[in-house]
Amino acid sequence: MRRPRIRGKAALGATAALGALGLAGLAVGQILPPLPAHPVTGVTPVGFLAAPIADTTPNAAQLQRGQYLVRAGDCVSCHMREGGDPLSGGFALKTPFGTIYSANITSDRETGIGGWTPDQFHRAMHDGIDDQGKNLYPALPYPWFRRISRADDDAMLAYLKTTPAVSYTPPPNKLPFPFNIRFLVKFWNVLFLKSTDFRADPRQSAEWNRGAYLVTGLGHCGGCHTPKNWLGADKGGQDLQSGKLDNWVAPDLTANPRTGLGGWSVEEVAEYLKTGRNARAGAGGAMADVITYSTSLLSDADRHAMAVYLKTRPAGAEPAIGAPDAHAMARGAAIYSDACASCHLENGVGQPRLFPPLGHDAVLQQADPTGLEHIILAGSRVGTSPAAPTPLTMPSFAWKLTDQQVADVSTYIRNSWGNRAAAVSSGSVRSLRKSLDLEAIRYTANSGDQN
Amino acid sequence: MGSAGAAAAAGIHDGELGAPPQTYTGKVPWQEGAADAPPAALGTDFRFFTPAERSFIEAAVNRLIPPDPAGPSAVEANVPFFLDRQLAGPFGRGDHYFLGGPWKKGAAEQGYQMRFSPAQLYRAAIKAVDDYAAANFHGAAFASLADADKDKLLKGLEAGTVQLGDGVDAKSFFAMLLQNTKEGYFSDPLYGGNKDMAAWKMIGFPGAHYDYSEWVTRHGEKVPYPTVGMKGRPGWSES
Ligand code: HEC
Ligand code: HEC
Ligand code: HEC
Repeated sequence: MRRPRIRGKAALGATAALGALGLAGLAVGQILPPLPAHPVTGVTPVGFLAAPIADTTPNAAQLQRGQYLVRAGDCVSCHMREGGDPLSGGFALKTPFGTIYSANITSDRETGIGGWTPDQFHRAMHDGIDDQGKNLYPALPYPWFRRISRADDDAMLAYLKTTPAVSYTPPPNKLPFPFNIRFLVKFWNVLFLKSTDFRADPRQSAEWNRGAYLVTGLGHCGGCHTPKNWLGADKGGQDLQSGKLDNWVAPDLTANPRTGLGGWSVEEVAEYLKTGRNARAGAGGAMADVITYSTSLLSDADRHAMAVYLKTRPAGAEPAIGAPDAHAMARGAAIYSDACASCHLENGVGQPRLFPPLGHDAVLQQADPTGLEHIILAGSRVGTSPAAPTPLTMPSFAWKLTDQQVADVSTYIRNSWGNRAAAVSSGSVRSLRKSLDLEAIRYTANSGDQN
Repeated sequence: MGSAGAAAAAGIHDGELGAPPQTYTGKVPWQEGAADAPPAALGTDFRFFTPAERSFIEAAVNRLIPPDPAGPSAVEANVPFFLDRQLAGPFGRGDHYFLGGPWKKGAAEQGYQMRFSPAQLYRAAIKAVDDYAAANFHGAAFASLADADKDKLLKGLEAGTVQLGDGVDAKSFFAMLLQNTKEGYFSDPLYGGNKDMAAWKMIGFPGAHYDYSEWVTRHGEKVPYPTVGMKGRPGWSES
């Protein structure tokens, strides 16, 4: 029996470093390993990230700060493979050009960064150059990390050097020519590495500026939430207006009331970042790990600051949206009422913080319906956090609904209860089903159709 | 993991009966896209019954659930197709039965005691019943008997007064056939029977809805939901 495992992960737009088309169609299929074990540290990743650093430790203030910044940068989401130790790397970021493995950034001197100097570390975070002077791929989100202050880089390195040394060398990248030539990243940098060090905006509040520092710097939210050009770099002037990665859509985070955070209060944004859920939405897909390993472990003040900043992002232009086909709507309504209303309830009112309400919902109104189709086909699980430790799961409907039925129910919910978005075609569902390789995923021996 | 590995080797998988307990720390495992999808019967071809066996089965189940103004007959409900696919699959092979000896006639509470898998039992019994019919009803196969004679023979099987050859226990076969016929008649259409959910509509059961809890205490009320199977209803694709 095949039990491959698909992991939605931060294959950031910037991994599209050396050409081609964003990050569509990536599914990471590998065989489920045995129990997640952390052989060296023996703790869970969240326990690791939240391990107290005693005030009596030499240099405690800097180390505590560094640990906090490592959470803010979501380093664990990328620098941990299934079953591996936090920060020891080896996680496969799949890109259209091939696979890039994250590095070991534990204190191990041979295989990690235990021997790095603060200057070397700063150069990696700021310019994407490693200790040997070679270019790193922007899969490491240095286009965002470069906004971090030098003091913050120093604090992170000081902390990283206190982490348990894990001897582990990630597999070599699987990049075909010419993407395997690191040198070419230099041209990408010349073209696209426009971001500067963070400069506070004196017209805004200190809190807004703190939020901007986190969102546009360590948080690298735009890595997923900003649309990318064909070279995988941010499209100019469209910050946070919705990006696509790994068969997910990271929704619009601007003030757009339909597709963005226009209808959310600052408190609602902050609650989402803390618990992965609020009265409007649940964080699934790649956002689940962001919540679990990063934003849920930050301070209330910092989450509030990020929310304050996000609420001021300008919306993009609204497209013209035609009326949906009445037949598709009727079929979709029938499917919704039988298959979805049990949890999301009739009229899409949902059960806030359990089953997301679907009226006036931004996730399902994104121009690109891939994220919505993904949720319906494959299911989705809300990230856990200390404040909300129970994972909530939307079941997979791949076995139950045909491509046309997924398209119809999508069209229906995209145009009901205050929602308005373009109709969904069965062709797009078909190609997503294929790229997720859902046919291969079954749990029990008797599961699946008889042929 | 050692015991889990051994169980997997024996064909037992996580979450199935007989799977060893597992401990998880850190996070609850979850697999995107995974579902315990019920094994749907696809297509319309018969895979187990020979044409002669199929005639027997159609004749027999249509005496157990004959055509009636209240609802469909077993044949109208596609029960023979359901039985065919069940017997062609894990149920037919007796995957979940203990089929080793000794094969003594047990007490009723001891359940199934035969050395036949269900598929073997059907095959042997159909032949034995047809032989019996030929010997006692002027050479006719069961399917071509008059309804009254079919009923007489079926009642004889049920009561155990008809003795079959080939080591087939008539009573056990009848009990299994009746049970499986009811299953095919009332189970989800996904498994091949209960065509058009007609058996459910007959008794007013609205089908595979997620949650009936709000109706548990509302006795005697009509549940206004449309009848739906696990793979939907016509309204999902027609409009
Ligand atoms: C989106 C995924 C991602 C995130 C988030 C991320 N990294 Fe990385 N990082 C990578 C990848 C992939 C590489 C390897 C790049 C390469 O080989 O060119 C890497 C490489 C590095 C390197 C270079 C190591 C070496 O040996 O060359 C350092 C240092 C580093 N990351 C630190 C961090 C820190 C600190 C954070 C958190 C603040 C972080 N990374 C967050 C993906 C990520
Ligand atoms: C690895 C990619 C990734 C990164 C990095 C990321 N997000 Fe997300 N985010 C997503 C995805 C995918 C969703 C959609 C989740 C869903 O469908 O449930 C999402 C959803 C959200 C939502 C909910 C939007 C809605 O309308 O429901 C908010 C708010 C959000 N992200 C904020 C952030 C912030 C703030 C950051 C930076 C700290 C961030 N995200 C970083 C991928 C990402
Ligand atoms: C068993 C309960 C259950 C059923 C049935 C169910 N859902 Fe969900 N749904 C959930 C949960 C829990 C979530 C939160 C998971 C997440 O966002 O990752 C969710 C999330 C969603 C979201 C994302 C909303 C957001 O803002 O994040 C959409 C869209 C959705 N479901 C649509 C559907 C559709 C369409 C159906 C029917 C085909 C359906 N659901 C059936 C439980 C359910």
